[in-house]
Amino acid sequence: MNINTLFGADVWLKKAEKHGLFGAIMIGLGSAIGFEIFGQLGHAYSLAQGGMVFALLLGGLICLLTMFSYSELSAALPVKGGEYSYAKAAFGGFTAFMAGCLRWLSSVFGAAFAAIVFAEQLVYFLSILLPLDQNSMLAFTNLIAAVLVFIIGALTIRGVKEVTTFLVIAFLAIFALFLISGFWQSPAVPEILPRFEGLSGVFAATAYTFIMFVGIRAIVTGAPDIKDPGKNIPKAIFVSIVLLIAVYCSVAYVTVSVVGDKAFEEPTLLNFAATQTMGLLGGALVAVGGMVASISSLSTSITVQSSIVQGMSRDGYFPKVLLKIHRRYGTPHVAATVNSLFILLFIVFGAGAVGLGYAASFASILVFALVNLAVLKLRQKRPRLERPFKAPFYPVTPIIGIAISLMLLIAPVLLNRDASAESGIVWSLGFMGLVLTTYHLRMVGVHRLHVALGGISLGMGFFAAILAYLIEKGFNPLILPLVPPYILALVSITSILAGILNFVVGMRKLF
Amino acid sequence: MKVKRIVTVIVGLAQGAIGIVALFLVGLLYLNLLDFQTMLSVSTELLPLSLLVLSVFGFFSVVSGLFLLREH
Repeated sequence: MNINTLFGADVWLKKAEKHGLFGAIMIGLGSAIGFEIFGQLGHAYSLAQGGMVFALLLGGLICLLTMFSYSELSAALPVKGGEYSYAKAAFGGFTAFMAGCLRWLSSVFGAAFAAIVFAEQLVYFLSILLPLDQNSMLAFTNLIAAVLVFIIGALTIRGVKEVTTFLVIAFLAIFALFLISGFWQSPAVPEILPRFEGLSGVFAATAYTFIMFVGIRAIVTGAPDIKDPGKNIPKAIFVSIVLLIAVYCSVAYVTVSVVGDKAFEEPTLLNFAATQTMGLLGGALVAVGGMVASISSLSTSITVQSSIVQGMSRDGYFPKVLLKIHRRYGTPHVAATVNSLFILLFIVFGAGAVGLGYAASFASILVFALVNLAVLKLRQKRPRLERPFKAPFYPVTPIIGIAISLMLLIAPVLLNRDASAESGIVWSLGFMGLVLTTYHLRMVGVHRLHVALGGISLGMGFFAAILAYLIEKGFNPLILPLVPPYILALVSITSILAGILNFVVGMRKLF
Repeated sequence: MKVKRIVTVIVGLAQGAIGIVALFLVGLLYLNLLDFQTMLSVSTELLPLSLLVLSVFGFFSVVSGLFLLREH
């Protein structure tokens, strides 16, 4: 298939005009500055305290390192599809599938996280206006987040327009107000350089907040829409990351300096800090900013996820039904519905806000590692490929990029023993396992699957039969002891019949 | 041939329904809605194992049921 139509961006999204350096920087900032800073500072502070500023600086520098690889690949292969296209060119189908799935997973986890951040900010905002207890209202965050996903999912199907540039300016204005009022009050100078014993917390905070920078990759994935990509993309990436580091570190610095030893609710640390510097109005302003950012991120995420899923369906990895376009609204309603359901699943059964933040970061970190691997592979595989930009200090930069990616995956789990990080890594690796299983099952063929499912159903049926027999004889099973034996018998008969039918169908078509 | 087709559809529907009920039970047990864990006498220690067994059983039942329905 034509690689330029990957992810279906040309099918659905408005085709962009060619951007210069300034336009490319705005794309990067517009994609990177979002809901994350409103929802992540609290946990990052509890992990690293004043070292949070250093953690954000480290995250930005690590991101810059991998962006050298992104720049080389995007200049050499200026096509739509980003990581999926690079992995496909370097390794072929399976790794490309993994890159696409990880990118999708990262977006789904991020969207679920955005919905929860919206709920937390709404609760904070309401607690200012109404005499309500913020703690007791936080119990409803999952419900509010689920309702929001339902509404945004429906709006995405109907088709909504994005106002990214306006939002970037609005957020920068809020941060500017916060910084001016913070520095105006001459707060105490906090200790931001981490001590040796606090380094594990700093690394964990870096891993957790890594998704704050990941949006920069929009510059490289939009390479076909940027003038003279070989020159403009590296410059735009460098300027965007420097600006992002400056904004994030300044906000974190003021937050750390005004919070001090005061007690605060972890999910709304930035609101608390804004209240300290600007009064209740400041807290409310940050809450409104957080809500708008979350809605914008959620809407963009569902759109991006639909594009990814459609591109992979076009390549035959996912069912073709996901390519269906709504007759009236012209939007991919099946893909948007499936993505919204996954987001809902992660909100209801997921790892909580912090766990989802980690999961989104981990999936992005794995994508970054794959991109660095793709640079190494393509230099070997296609040494004569025209490369308008080359990653400096090759092969040191991609190798360090891979090593640091692995370190960021390990640090919060092994060094810091953060339970949310463990939960996040289990969710991201668990779902990665699930999609890899789907890939292999897809490659095995339907008839062999019939036979396999026949065997599994027979096994389940006989197990249920034995369990029913034992319960009838007075045995008390450890799992679900109160299930009546006649229900188990019914389940057993159905499973055995289904097993035989599946087995017969599969064998008949195989031979 | 027609009888076999009807039997396949019925068995597929029944197995799919059993799988959905099992997955629904997983949700009820995990969230402990209506104090479901006490209602089914599931101890806290054995809750993860019960959830795992029910999830695997429910997942394969739904997939197997769908495959039978898809065939006919």
